[in-house]
Amino acid sequence: MFEFLIAGVQAPWVLLVFTGFTVGIVGGFIGVGGGYMVTPALIVFGFPGYMASGIDMTHIAGKGIVSTVRHRQLGNVDWILALSMVAGTMFGVEEGIRLLGYFKHLGLSTVALLGASVCLMGTLFIYTLRETLRSHRLLTKMAREGRALAREVSTSSLPRLFQGLPLAPLVRCRTARVIVSMWVIVLVGVVTGVLAGFLGVGGGFIRVPALVYVVGASTHIAVGTDLVEIVFSGAYGCLRHSIEGNVDFVAVLFMLCGAMFGAQFGSIATAFVRGPAIRYMLAFSLALATLGAGLPLVNLLMGGKLVWLTALSVIITLGQMVFLCLFILSLVYFAYRANRGRWVPDWAAPLLVHNVTTGG
Amino acid sequence: MHTQFRGRALIKFLFWAVSTVLVFAYAINTYRSGQMVRWYYFQANADGYAINAKAFEQATRENPVSLVIGEFADVTGQRAVRVTKGSRLPEGTNGVIDLVTVDKGDRVRLEGGQLVVTVPWQIKEAKGFKFRDGFTHKNIRTNPWAGLWNLVMVGLVGLCLGFLAEGFTDVLGFKFQKIDHSVGH
Repeated sequence: MFEFLIAGVQAPWVLLVFTGFTVGIVGGFIGVGGGYMVTPALIVFGFPGYMASGIDMTHIAGKGIVSTVRHRQLGNVDWILALSMVAGTMFGVEEGIRLLGYFKHLGLSTVALLGASVCLMGTLFIYTLRETLRSHRLLTKMAREGRALAREVSTSSLPRLFQGLPLAPLVRCRTARVIVSMWVIVLVGVVTGVLAGFLGVGGGFIRVPALVYVVGASTHIAVGTDLVEIVFSGAYGCLRHSIEGNVDFVAVLFMLCGAMFGAQFGSIATAFVRGPAIRYMLAFSLALATLGAGLPLVNLLMGGKLVWLTALSVIITLGQMVFLCLFILSLVYFAYRANRGRWVPDWAAPLLVHNVTTGG
Repeated sequence: MHTQFRGRALIKFLFWAVSTVLVFAYAINTYRSGQMVRWYYFQANADGYAINAKAFEQATRENPVSLVIGEFADVTGQRAVRVTKGSRLPEGTNGVIDLVTVDKGDRVRLEGGQLVVTVPWQIKEAKGFKFRDGFTHKNIRTNPWAGLWNLVMVGLVGLCLGFLAEGFTDVLGFKFQKIDHSVGH
């Protein structure tokens, strides 16, 4: 146990490091901050709710930098796309917070928050999963026909629609190999920012699908580019929370120590898989997050009679960190086996990259 | 060529390792010297009484804890210091009980020059999770520069750890190549 003088609590520092590590793996792999997992974990460890949010947001900024450094090395960051989106994201986050304040004023904040979370994440989950299943089938077919497999396969026709909008100025994103109207990028930033501000999260699990299905970036680029956005939104959140007195910096340091290792593993793991594998993980995390928000909503709508649903959502929220980490670990393990010509399950084989170059 | 790469990687690793140690040492020193706590519990954000909530966390309605009110330099132990909004907080303060709460009297009341605490904390909820919400952190204002310090430090720590890890894998010989996104996209 460590006594956190600012937070005024005694908490197990090992668990903070472990939380940083697990969320670092997931965040580095699917490009999310992991706020929806970390805040509840910190509350369970004894931190007050407001302090948990502040520590979480500050740690997300630091972890975002750690992951971005690695994704930059892997060539997964499109700086033009990221920087074009920053202003829209910031504006959106601020408007989202105001929207939340409006709902609070109406006395509907909890229902509105949970309802919006369930609808949005549920829709994204269904779309992402259906599209990823189609891409997976396409990859399997290509592998069976002996064709060379691409790093990215996407069957969504939405990017073509948005890339075809003739609104000047057009932006050429060299790394993402996309030419798209600046207005589309700004709109993605604003909309995902509003949702992030309203739902009180970093917004990664909304922005990554938006970058893939609206802008048309590959999943790897979407993950790397989104992490740059997370650095900016996390930094803004860190400043706001710090000024409001919601941050115990020593707790942040403990979490970052774990996140350093986790984020490395998660980021490097993206080099071993194809785009649909990352989108599967994203879909699963969306499903679990939908369930985590849906159960308390049902309890609320039933007049608070089903308290066990809230307890179940706590278990799901905390359990998903371990589940997602194990899934990522298994993918890397299968990729390792595939690289050595050993047996891997049929479903996994087309999702793995067989010749990752690590030479000096 | 390979030796040259390893040499550069080692220099990179050592540079970022030293930077990381320096940044962490500075952050830990700032914490241990009490500077970080002083920045945090900087000013009162309401008229009331500066307290240390630890002194009365065992208080109950049956067994209340009384705090002596006075002009103390610090509030360690069962002491309280009258503060006004914007004034610097005495050493050891970790919360301010505002006058509104004292006037209500259901958690804290004034009795013969002493502050009598009966309900030190309540159960609150955030994101579906319950937590103990006491007087700690209440009605205090953090030094705004501490916010900037946090931001700069988290940026430095992130950069140091990120490049330290990159340097480490480079030293081990794992120089990850950029993914070719042009293939099949």
